Amino acid sequence: MTGAPGSSVPATVEVEDLVKVYPGGTRAVDGISFRVAHGEFLGFLGPNGAGKTTTIRILATLLRPTGGRARVAGLDVVANAAAVRRRIGFATQTVTIDQMATGRENLALIGRLHGMSGAELRPRVEELLELMGLTEAARKLAGTYSGGMRRRLDLASALVHRPEVLFLDEPTEGLDPQSRLALWDELIRINRAGTTMVLTTHYMEEADRLCERLAIIDHGKIVAEGSPAELKRSIGADSVTLRLVPPGPAGDVDADALAGAQSAVSQRLHGLAAITEVEHISDGIRLAVRGADEVAPEILRRIDVDGVRVYGMSMAGPTLDDVFLKHTGRRIRAEEADQVISMGW
Amino acid sequence: MTTFAAETWYLGLRAWRRFYRVPANPFSIVLYPLIQLFVFSQLFKDIVQLPGFGASGGGDGSYLAYLAPGQITFTVFFAVSWSGSNLLYDYRNGMLDKLRATPVGRYAILAGELVPLFIECMIMAGAILVLSLLLGARIETGIPGAIGILLLSGAFGVAWAGTSFVPALLTKNEQATGTLSILFFPIAFMSTAFVPVALMPDWLRVVNDWNPITFVIEAMRALMTVGFDWGAIGRALVAIAALGLVLHSITLWAFRRLTA
Repeated sequence: MTGAPGSSVPATVEVEDLVKVYPGGTRAVDGISFRVAHGEFLGFLGPNGAGKTTTIRILATLLRPTGGRARVAGLDVVANAAAVRRRIGFATQTVTIDQMATGRENLALIGRLHGMSGAELRPRVEELLELMGLTEAARKLAGTYSGGMRRRLDLASALVHRPEVLFLDEPTEGLDPQSRLALWDELIRINRAGTTMVLTTHYMEEADRLCERLAIIDHGKIVAEGSPAELKRSIGADSVTLRLVPPGPAGDVDADALAGAQSAVSQRLHGLAAITEVEHISDGIRLAVRGADEVAPEILRRIDVDGVRVYGMSMAGPTLDDVFLKHTGRRIRAEEADQVISMGW
Repeated sequence: MTTFAAETWYLGLRAWRRFYRVPANPFSIVLYPLIQLFVFSQLFKDIVQLPGFGASGGGDGSYLAYLAPGQITFTVFFAVSWSGSNLLYDYRNGMLDKLRATPVGRYAILAGELVPLFIECMIMAGAILVLSLLLGARIETGIPGAIGILLLSGAFGVAWAGTSFVPALLTKNEQATGTLSILFFPIAFMSTAFVPVALMPDWLRVVNDWNPITFVIEAMRALMTVGFDWGAIGRALVAIAALGLVLHSITLWAFRRLTA
């Protein structure tokens, strides 16, 4: 496999023992190592504050690492920052476009800063506008664009100079579901056309759908690595979720009744070997079960007794959230409130 | 060097467009100096009766000619105090990161912000000159001299920009940038903007003699009322250069500190 340790083909991105300690003492990145092969689509999955943004900003040459080394396209990001910048595109977490410039001007500026000549730039800008469906709006000020249009313009501006590697920091953050799906298709298309992609996200679905390989990050360290399928297979168990409170607004949950039901269910299921984990959740109980299809009837039989009322049940194959839970003991809560974006220079 | 020039050009163009596309901006830039000059000239027109006005005294038009350079300096102060916030705007919305991820030289990013400032200062100076002429003043050196005055104001603005950029880069706060820039305003008064040296108390005279703004004002004043006084112009250019060197060194340090 290209880029694998010991292979003769250098990986497009190589990171060794990367460390970043912020002036206040926060160890945002605590010894990360990984490689990205040419043309690969790698994702960093983890909760907010895990160190994903810091890592990607170091790779995009915006931050200096405190320790370790990173190379992009064979060049050291610290020693050869300028050369690295010529080969990469970077899309920040918040959409960054010049609102007082037209769509066309936005793209042209980045192209010019990459040293593209007018003759090269003009057709390339039109090509990208066409690709992103922005041709008609191209001569309007970017400030008038909708959220989805701005994202596409931002993405286009990272592609003007045909970078080898594209770094994307939470590319679908804050997008409505429709725009998110459209952007996913776009990113896959760009990757298929030959651009190596490195993306950070806290959305499991995004990581699952887009990335060939994932690095799961927590507290500045990589806790698991592999393709989404491999990672999920490593769990070896499905999840069975039992709803133990009546349907209604979340605030109405009777905490005592819930606790009682949870412990009653746990007792009843005690001894079922297929159940590898029991997790108390806000409206019931979630079980990790090996081969849930076959065990589910037995589960239901055991808890179908007086005093235990089950209001609903669902079963699902392992998810990346389960993978995260296995390695860190917590879940990635996708609905966690976004932290203030510190433009750490 | 040529890359730096090209990058500054494109970034400057972008910053300039950002400025004039907000209608309030060109409007204010032209209107404010007119109001300022008009008010001050009417307020102080009898000051020429004071002895000590000497060679530049006597007659309506001449106080306008006397006043105009100081007025130009004032407007430059205003334009500069706004400029620091533009840098923060880009810092806050992620544009600075986006630019830094391109091969563009760091300092071109700063230089790009100076381009619209240069143009704004020239426009404000131009408005003051035009109104002065309409109110009866004369420019001894004609059109070439007028252009010289415009260029001096632009250059002075670029040199003075540090007083706004440094607070911006150090505090990262728009309000602080504005209020810290105001601290420099009294320096405009401790010069020959309004009165000749002869009418100043001793302590003020000392400050005035070392005040780079006085050199700039005197050069412009000479161009308006006397002729091409190369000595005065030379001193003004040296003052601008020295000022620029000091302030921009600090600005570059602050910028480097922020973009480490």
